[in-house]
Amino acid sequence: MSSVKGSVENNRSTPAPTVDLDEIQATILRPRPAPYFGTHVLLRVNDAQAGRAFLRRLIPHVDSAAGWWSAATPWLAVGISYAGLEALGVPQDSLQSFPEAFREGMAARARHLGDEGRNDPKNWDQPYGKSDVHIGVSAFSDSEEDRRRILGIAREQVEGFSGVSVLAMQDFGAQPGDLNSLGYKDGIDQPAVEGSGVDPLPGQGRPIKAGEFILGYPGESGVPLPMPQPDILGRNGTYVGFRKYQSRVGAFNRFLRANGSTEEERELLAAKLVGRWRSGAPLTLAPDVDNPAVGTDPQRNNDFDYSNDARGRQAPFGCHIRRMNPRDTKLTRLTDVNIHRIIRRGTTYGPPYDPNALSEADDEVPRGAIFLFISAKAMATIEFLQQEWINDGNFIGAGNERDPIVGLQEKEATFTIPKEPVRRRVHGIETFNVLRGGEYFFMPSLSALKWLADAEN
Amino acid sequence: MQSQTQMATTPEHDARVEQKVQKLREIYADAPELGRVALEKGLPDLKRELAAATGTQNAGRIGARQGKVSELTGIIPFAEGGAKRLRGLLEALEGNFRGGDAVGTLHDMRFVFLDNDTKLLFATAYDGDWDAYIDDFVTKIPNSMDLIFCNLEGWPGIHSPSAKDFIAGNQIAAEAWYVASPNLTVAETRRLERVGKAVDEFLDKIA
Repeated sequence: MSSVKGSVENNRSTPAPTVDLDEIQATILRPRPAPYFGTHVLLRVNDAQAGRAFLRRLIPHVDSAAGWWSAATPWLAVGISYAGLEALGVPQDSLQSFPEAFREGMAARARHLGDEGRNDPKNWDQPYGKSDVHIGVSAFSDSEEDRRRILGIAREQVEGFSGVSVLAMQDFGAQPGDLNSLGYKDGIDQPAVEGSGVDPLPGQGRPIKAGEFILGYPGESGVPLPMPQPDILGRNGTYVGFRKYQSRVGAFNRFLRANGSTEEERELLAAKLVGRWRSGAPLTLAPDVDNPAVGTDPQRNNDFDYSNDARGRQAPFGCHIRRMNPRDTKLTRLTDVNIHRIIRRGTTYGPPYDPNALSEADDEVPRGAIFLFISAKAMATIEFLQQEWINDGNFIGAGNERDPIVGLQEKEATFTIPKEPVRRRVHGIETFNVLRGGEYFFMPSLSALKWLADAEN
Repeated sequence: MQSQTQMATTPEHDARVEQKVQKLREIYADAPELGRVALEKGLPDLKRELAAATGTQNAGRIGARQGKVSELTGIIPFAEGGAKRLRGLLEALEGNFRGGDAVGTLHDMRFVFLDNDTKLLFATAYDGDWDAYIDDFVTKIPNSMDLIFCNLEGWPGIHSPSAKDFIAGNQIAAEAWYVASPNLTVAETRRLERVGKAVDEFLDKIA
């Protein structure tokens, strides 16, 4: 687990954690290992009693965040959708205490999320967006062998239960160099959570109040968010926005070739789109040529702000990482960057990135990423990010331009690269990652899982 | 508002315009004579406008939007002594509100005292959805918000989870919303001002 060992384990903070680590699920705080292997399992509860019995059997294998900074045996994470809470027979007054956007579900919120056109829920894969997905179980491990072992444990809990059925299983990870399906090292910049027991890494910024990410603690405004009721159900829980993207690798490569005549030009353009070279080295620290030694070093690969790049000459304003965390960039709108951050666990699936894949058939090879976006207000944050920071450019003074990596591009979309003496505007940018599924899950605390599994409620 | 938009000339479209005209004649049947005359005399211009009508969109929870520009209108009773305090505050600010610059999305704001200082009419044009950024107001400008809104009856405080509901609850959606440049946000307007200036400087140099 080099990513954990090389980074946060050395950054244990002197004050004891103030977040109840024994209660919250490990995945909220524990980064994915490197290399990482895993599987997402989506289940349907056909019968409330069977669903609860399944949870009871699963609970002993769900990891808490205690000692999350240390290398760990493989772990399971569990989330339950609103339809799942209904199927488990959660009482009506509890159901009504969940936020409206969560109750409606991700597909029904498509208009608020800008999930239209190519990304419209009517184009999604099975079984997403139909209120059929009730429970999501994700297994994370640092070896293929452990992945199989923990998955075997999860499977044993389902087998013999006619009341719980597996809708889909999706393996992830196992990419050479842990690169994502467009060929970049990712998952580098995560918000630091106050009171989680670890000091921020260089460049991570001040720790953000725990209540932004975990229910039951004060958030950035000083007050906790409203929690699902009763207290035992909501406290130490959080929400997960689960989004499955298909990477159009052919379209991406065609775009690079159309706009770069040499390998060097193409790789610089690829870096300008993201704000990092494929190695993970940020343009702010390696503006002209890649520096893989910086890219792989967790003490250095995020240690920057934009104070020396106020005009976007290194990292374009519209690049993916500057949009998703503008840091000290001067924005056109009054914005508190710290209340729009989200913890994300990206999990790459399918064959590795192929720089020579150029055909339209290559766009449809099942390959991409499933993201778990984790926040105590995940629904509001994802809607904000989709509307303001991904599918718009106004906040950075970029007009109608959209995020070049995860944005839904309109016809004749452009991407502006600030440059001396005049900016370069690249045409022909397409939607390189298409949304093919999504669900909202509630990720309960360990006590809440027991409460949910308890047939007496 | 002379519309220069080219009229669509499909038969269906013409029929729809004629239907609208017929409806307007019925509605105006009991209007004063000068109103009825105006309808008939102005018919050629009016038909052009009817043919070009495109409708409005919604701005978040409530209110109308054209392109990127939204409207927010509210009539809210003053709290006890609120009118006096708010007037004093606005006078101290000399009737202006340059602090609005910081928000970055406000095209204008209007404060009108109604009915013997018992109610406030607040009207603004702004970019996008206001509720997307309400949490940013909470952490970035809570004092400015409470300083103004505490003068209104029922304001729960910017930190209250029901602050959004208070605003939406007092909002009156406009029946119509005209925006000359629906795609020009405040940020884009400022950018174009800078670009225009730079172009003029450039032209001055080469002239």
